[in-house]
Amino acid sequence: MSDFDRRSFLKKLGALSAATAATSVAEGMVVPADALQPPERQPAVTWKKAPCRLCGVGCGLLIGLENGRAVAVKGDPDSPVSKGLACAKGYYSVQALYGADRIKRAMVRENGKLTEVPLSKALDLVAERLKETAEKHGKDSVALYGSAQWTIPDAYLAAKLFKGGLGTNNVETSSRLYAASAMAGLQTTFGLDGAIGCYEDIDHADVFVLWDINLAETDPVLFSRMLERRRVDPAVRIIDLAPRLSRTSYAADHSLLHVPHAALAIAQGICNEIVARKWVQRDFVANHVAFRRGKTGLGNGIDADALLADEGTQASWDDFVKFISAYEPERVQQISGLSAESIRWLASLYGDPLRKVMSVWGRNVNQDVRGTWTNNVLYNIHLLVGKVASPGNSPFCTTGQPSGGCAVHDAGSLAHTLPAGVVQDGGDRGYAAGIWEVPAAKIDPRPGAPLLSMFRQLERGDLRFLWILATDPMLSLPNLDRYRKAASKGDHFIVVSEAYPTPTTDAADVVLPTAIWLEREGIYGNAERRLQHFDQIVAPPGDAIGDTAQLIEVARRLGFEKLFPYEPRAAVEQVWAEYTRFHGDPRSQLPPIADLRGRRGVLWPYVGGRETRWRYNSTYDPAADARAAYDFYGHPDHRAWIWLRPYEPAAESPDREYPFWLSTGAVLEQWGGGAMTQRIPALHHALPHAYVEMNQDDAGDLGIRNHDMVRLASRRGSVELEARVGYRSQPPRGQLFAPVFDETRPVNRLMLDAACPISGQPDASKCAVRMERVSARSSP
Amino acid sequence: MTSPERHPTGSLLRWFLVASAITAAVAVRVAVKRALAPRPPETPVVNVPLVIAPAEPIRAEAQVFRTSAGTVAIAPEQPRERQAHPRTAATYRFLRAYPGAPPRIPHALRPEEFRTDACRTCHRRGGYSIRFAAYVPVTPHPERGICLQCHVGEDSLMAIPVAAADPNSRCPQCHGPSGGTPKASATLTWSTSVWPQIPATTPDQDPPAIPHDLQFRENCLTCHSGPAAVAQIRTKHPERANCRQCHLAATQGAEPFARVTTAPDSGGPS
Repeated sequence: MSDFDRRSFLKKLGALSAATAATSVAEGMVVPADALQPPERQPAVTWKKAPCRLCGVGCGLLIGLENGRAVAVKGDPDSPVSKGLACAKGYYSVQALYGADRIKRAMVRENGKLTEVPLSKALDLVAERLKETAEKHGKDSVALYGSAQWTIPDAYLAAKLFKGGLGTNNVETSSRLYAASAMAGLQTTFGLDGAIGCYEDIDHADVFVLWDINLAETDPVLFSRMLERRRVDPAVRIIDLAPRLSRTSYAADHSLLHVPHAALAIAQGICNEIVARKWVQRDFVANHVAFRRGKTGLGNGIDADALLADEGTQASWDDFVKFISAYEPERVQQISGLSAESIRWLASLYGDPLRKVMSVWGRNVNQDVRGTWTNNVLYNIHLLVGKVASPGNSPFCTTGQPSGGCAVHDAGSLAHTLPAGVVQDGGDRGYAAGIWEVPAAKIDPRPGAPLLSMFRQLERGDLRFLWILATDPMLSLPNLDRYRKAASKGDHFIVVSEAYPTPTTDAADVVLPTAIWLEREGIYGNAERRLQHFDQIVAPPGDAIGDTAQLIEVARRLGFEKLFPYEPRAAVEQVWAEYTRFHGDPRSQLPPIADLRGRRGVLWPYVGGRETRWRYNSTYDPAADARAAYDFYGHPDHRAWIWLRPYEPAAESPDREYPFWLSTGAVLEQWGGGAMTQRIPALHHALPHAYVEMNQDDAGDLGIRNHDMVRLASRRGSVELEARVGYRSQPPRGQLFAPVFDETRPVNRLMLDAACPISGQPDASKCAVRMERVSARSSP
Repeated sequence: MTSPERHPTGSLLRWFLVASAITAAVAVRVAVKRALAPRPPETPVVNVPLVIAPAEPIRAEAQVFRTSAGTVAIAPEQPRERQAHPRTAATYRFLRAYPGAPPRIPHALRPEEFRTDACRTCHRRGGYSIRFAAYVPVTPHPERGICLQCHVGEDSLMAIPVAAADPNSRCPQCHGPSGGTPKASATLTWSTSVWPQIPATTPDQDPPAIPHDLQFRENCLTCHSGPAAVAQIRTKHPERANCRQCHLAATQGAEPFARVTTAPDSGGPS
């Protein structure tokens, strides 16, 4: 063996043992050099960072790439959100890109059937119909319904195209369905949208009160972070306050049950006790809090076409004391079903000056006819005891499908918003028009139609062109049959941008194939104000392009080349540079894209290279006046407002005819309407179908056995589901629970299309139903 | 300093002494009675047989299963049962979507187990499970709070017992009895990278390096020892315990060592 040969032999040996390690070769063995060639399919996996897209937590993932395909996932140990952990959805997330029925080509409906056409032809048709409709029926006859699952550039460009280009405010996103009350609650209490604290609060808090949120299934990694906090400090207490026993209840230290729609009353009861026991932090309240009385008797927002504006009137501490005296725990017990003793005990935790308390809530609190009010009152508790805007003291709403949490809102893609400010404000309109270089008169001062109203305009025939992107309203809207009918009949044109066939693409006249997540570059927000950038790391299938590219293509075809001058390869960077001009103020300053690329996400406001973890706290927030500990600069008086919000009854409650409360919600294995997760075999098999859970005594009374098929009926419609007793959750008597991910069993048919009159968020997760047995066990 | 009343702790102390004396007397009596009672025959220490006998016997396997002094994991009575459901590299891979993925749960859950997350009752320490007639694999991360966050099973209706968690018995469900193209039920066009190679024979010299990521899998013995371990990756010397003393994990993407000269004229580090 020549010297050269020997050296290359040893080199190969070294390379092999490094690469495969386990394939060791025994010493002294004579092996021909060729046999040491690594086998052809050695794992040459490279890892790239990306935020998970399957909920609002925003876990950091590392995506394993091999031959241009995503083949593996691990939790990113450097992610400040998830610290290396993910949940089942995250671990399987990459499979969602490779469903066998991905939409790869554009489709146009011809003779009732969707037929494949070249993408450019479909884009031409979309632009042509959009232009034609706006010219013939007026600019408000066209609308766009986007998604909280959008990246921020998607949301920004949609707002720019419709508000700055076409001059209509008919733009909505599914943030309205999931997070609008959280946004309105922050706006009314603090004067600005965006979470006050951040996830790091979890690492500091002593008590967690979970308000009607099954955190173990809705935000699993955040819940794990809480459990980790308790493991480190066993004195930490997790309290699950909910209408049913769930996985969260079993992992929590205390489980307290109440009826749906009771959170506001319970929070008032806690405030009552805090005031009665003199646990109020008088200094904090005197220096940083103002009191406000709003309109009452708002109604249930059914068929309301505009949001209720309520500035409120000034009130005093004495007014508040008088108001809150009506909510003594005994009375709240009558409303909520939660014992007065439990309410007093909760108040004692909030009132204890030695404990840091974090309140967590989500969709169930927000999706309520008094969703905004409930958010206000949860803030009230924290404001009374001064437990806000400091590490571990944190009222925190987790809603924010990847971008819903105050990221998509701020990009201006709701009917009343602009990328900074609201359409009703002349100054905000002028500012936007200046950046967009359009005449200020181009932006309409009248807000567009909020979500449900948008679909009612479709029903009435006022809306004749609707472009739906990255969301599935034909499964997720309440009173589903009504809006499905509205979409299927009438003289209108519906464009749907999707990755998979859904009930919404079934209603489409044009389907645009959409590149999702790792197939395009983008920036997501999350519930704690963290912005996370990700590169395009895999190729999209077929003709698919991302929503950003679709919006640019259509805008150019409409003649808005000047408004949309972005180069295809640098579009995200250029859009971001433009969008950040809207947020130059330290109160909402955004990071440049270079900082986003280099870091595991950045919390905004981002001032001078520093993230703001606790807003309004002058130690952490550069926008806060440093002369005081706190500065609630969102309101002109630099105070947070405690609103006097009375308890008003639910839009619909059980009665003789419909005797059960049905609550709906998310389950761990499925995401949204299941368009992605149902195509992942492991997740699908883990939970293939929606079911209804009930109390065993109710089941016994109705002769229902586990796995029987039952029919649930409400005043709106009915659906057949499999009965489950003693399963994932355990509702008390008179209550039922069903998940909403299953397009084959659309539970939203039952739901009521009432909405919070202030936020416009539909009260879509509870209603009154009756239940009857249909047939015996659905399968063995 | 006299007080007309006796100090209250005085009477408490007296009662405490009396109670202690009574307790001690009872304890002595019970102990004596137990000592005199006929002793039950001592349970023989069961030599837990291996699921699949490796080329050489695994030394001190029982030590691995000694969860506390004097306790040995319960072994099944019948030798046939002891051989039930061996775990192989094939079943190991079948339950994982890709190397490093959290394994799926291959057995049915009772309805309430979807809620109570009681997995660690068995999976914290392992042993033989009568319910599933199988040895229980041990979790490498018992400190993680909530197992069902990452590990998904099958919905109880479609639950497969452990026996069926064998790729050979399930593949036909999608691929038909003779293999071939999956039926319409297959919803994915996805494949993963190859798995780390397992050598057919392991040399006695040169401790092999660790071929996989250690995230959430830092406790080697949970997967590499005991009767529930995959036969092909079971260590022959679990008693050495500190695995990473000899077996090293490679840092991915590390550059080869290159020294930086400090000679003054070479432009080295200042």
